[in-house]
Amino acid sequence: MEFPLTARILRNTPEVAHEVIDDPQALIEDVRLSRQPVELGKRYLLLTKQKGSFVKPCPCTPHYLGCNYFIINLETNCPLDCSYCILQDYLTNPLLTVHVNLEDLWRELDAFISKRDRAFRIGTGELGDSLALDHITENSADLISYFRGKNSAIFELKTKTVNIDNVLNQQPAPNIIISWSLNTRKLAQDQEVGAPAVEERILAAKKVTLKGFRVGFHFDPLIRYPGWEADYEDVVDLLLESVNSEQIAWISLGSLRFPPDFVSIINRRFPASKIFHDEFVRGLDGKYRYFKSLRVELYHKMVDYIRDRAGADVPLYFCMESRDVWWEVLKKMPRNKEEIERSLTYPAADLKE
Amino acid sequence: MKTENIPLDILYLQDERFRISYFFSLAKLVLSLKKIGLTHPPLAAWRDNLLILVTGWKRVLACLELSLSPIPIVCLEEQSDLKLFQKAFYENLAIREYSLLEKAEIVKKLLHFGEEEKSILKHCLPRLGIPPTAYHLDAYLAVAALSPEMKTFIHEKQMPLASVELLIGFSPEDRQLLLPLLLPLSQNKQKELLEDCREISIREELPVNRILAAADIQEILDAKKLSPLQKSNKIRHLLRRQRYPQLSSRQERFQTALRKVDWPRDVSLHPSPFFEEDRVTLQFSFRNEQELKSCLSKLQAASANKEFSGVFKPSADD
Repeated sequence: MEFPLTARILRNTPEVAHEVIDDPQALIEDVRLSRQPVELGKRYLLLTKQKGSFVKPCPCTPHYLGCNYFIINLETNCPLDCSYCILQDYLTNPLLTVHVNLEDLWRELDAFISKRDRAFRIGTGELGDSLALDHITENSADLISYFRGKNSAIFELKTKTVNIDNVLNQQPAPNIIISWSLNTRKLAQDQEVGAPAVEERILAAKKVTLKGFRVGFHFDPLIRYPGWEADYEDVVDLLLESVNSEQIAWISLGSLRFPPDFVSIINRRFPASKIFHDEFVRGLDGKYRYFKSLRVELYHKMVDYIRDRAGADVPLYFCMESRDVWWEVLKKMPRNKEEIERSLTYPAADLKE
Repeated sequence: MKTENIPLDILYLQDERFRISYFFSLAKLVLSLKKIGLTHPPLAAWRDNLLILVTGWKRVLACLELSLSPIPIVCLEEQSDLKLFQKAFYENLAIREYSLLEKAEIVKKLLHFGEEEKSILKHCLPRLGIPPTAYHLDAYLAVAALSPEMKTFIHEKQMPLASVELLIGFSPEDRQLLLPLLLPLSQNKQKELLEDCREISIREELPVNRILAAADIQEILDAKKLSPLQKSNKIRHLLRRQRYPQLSSRQERFQTALRKVDWPRDVSLHPSPFFEEDRVTLQFSFRNEQELKSCLSKLQAASANKEFSGVFKPSADD
């Protein structure tokens, strides 16, 4: 209760009942033991202290190329309910959770940034959506203010929402990237429950670029289904007609992947979804992925759509892919994750305000 | 609670409300009873003027086989069926691992006797080595609801839960169709066949009877010269190809390329699992310099063949 962020969230949610609890473990266990832990967990907002580190390296996955990204665990879980979301299986705490001890976060970030000897990317959108709760947390304003001017840190807010009011009230900075996860209209409608339509996301992206922010886009997970080629081309068309490609910091591509245990959750929660029933094989990391030639086909098409409309200068990268795939599609074979990191940070870090 | 010598025909064995185990062999217990007699009396309780067995089904059935009667039985005065069943549960929990079917029976009966679902999730499932989730509770309840024929099959083939869950995912009619195909197969191959069938069924929106009605599968099923194992294996391969068309085609191109270049039989060339990496692994052994040179010479000849590039072609168009 003593943290300013707690007071701010309570002020922004006057109609919501709240209760002070000594130990959240009993509540977490109750929700975990319930018949619908994922659904129920999204109906609680736990405000608590981050007892461990806020900043961690993105875990990526063994045997595939990472990008040396760092994640800030400020919020975990997400009010949206995407069928393919790995958080359904990944988080031991199913509650929507906001860590309110921001003062510790700033101290930790100060120390973290001072130790880094090169530019790096960092963001809040890995274990939750960066902006989904921003109307009540207003964290985006604090984070943008904190990172403004700290140009070695390329800070990313990643979202599927259009919750951009607080962002639009901030002054842009070259090292602040607002990014959106995009998919085809059909997949957004069928698989991304609670998320705004793709057109709305792209419109929101356009608004922040008009304000002067740089933006990023994540086509991840790319998913095959009858007609995917035309549908993805439509989205790329709409995106690159709406957003000035010079303001795009990066576009990432990743194909649908999931751990073996995930299948039982999907079968229970989304029995009608057919996206998990394609030619998936066990990857080198043990997760299911499309058979490689199918992934390469997805990436080739996407790269062609993007390059045809935006030219060769928009930075593209793959999330959790092999060197073979990098080479086959982009004719680049990064030696390591630091090389990918460099290719995505220098252009942004070099920008002057 | 008192121990009494009770003739076995007094026990009302038709009431199996507390019974957990159905699949067991009495041979060792019969031998033990012959050698040292009954040292640990079963537990029983009166219900509606009938004496019902709570624990010790194996012991009583073995005594019946030996016509050993009367035997000492502990008669309990507990009126709650739940508390009596908990005795049966905990008595065996201390001395042995429950089988999958026994765990399913325990979970079903605990619920039936009024144990709260939350308590089962929180306390009983972990004690049975089951993850404490509603999903797992439902899975075991579904196992308990299977037909006796299916339970016998699961017991005899010692099917793990993952395969049983796949089986449960099919309708009772589909299970009957799949059973003869599963019977001759090992555990891993059973799982593979069930997974392939399920994936094809969902992806292509085909019921199992339509999948198995395909002409090439019917031809195998009708073949009189094939054994049940040969039939199951051939059908398994066809289903695999249907589920993994790209992978199967890649495997075939790889093997065809090796045949075309007359690849030496004593040298193995393995692609990475599922062709996920481009690299392939070459393996051969030799006893002396001469064998090595001979092998290298054969390899050089094979790799010089223009068809050899087919080994590395990811698609037929390349």
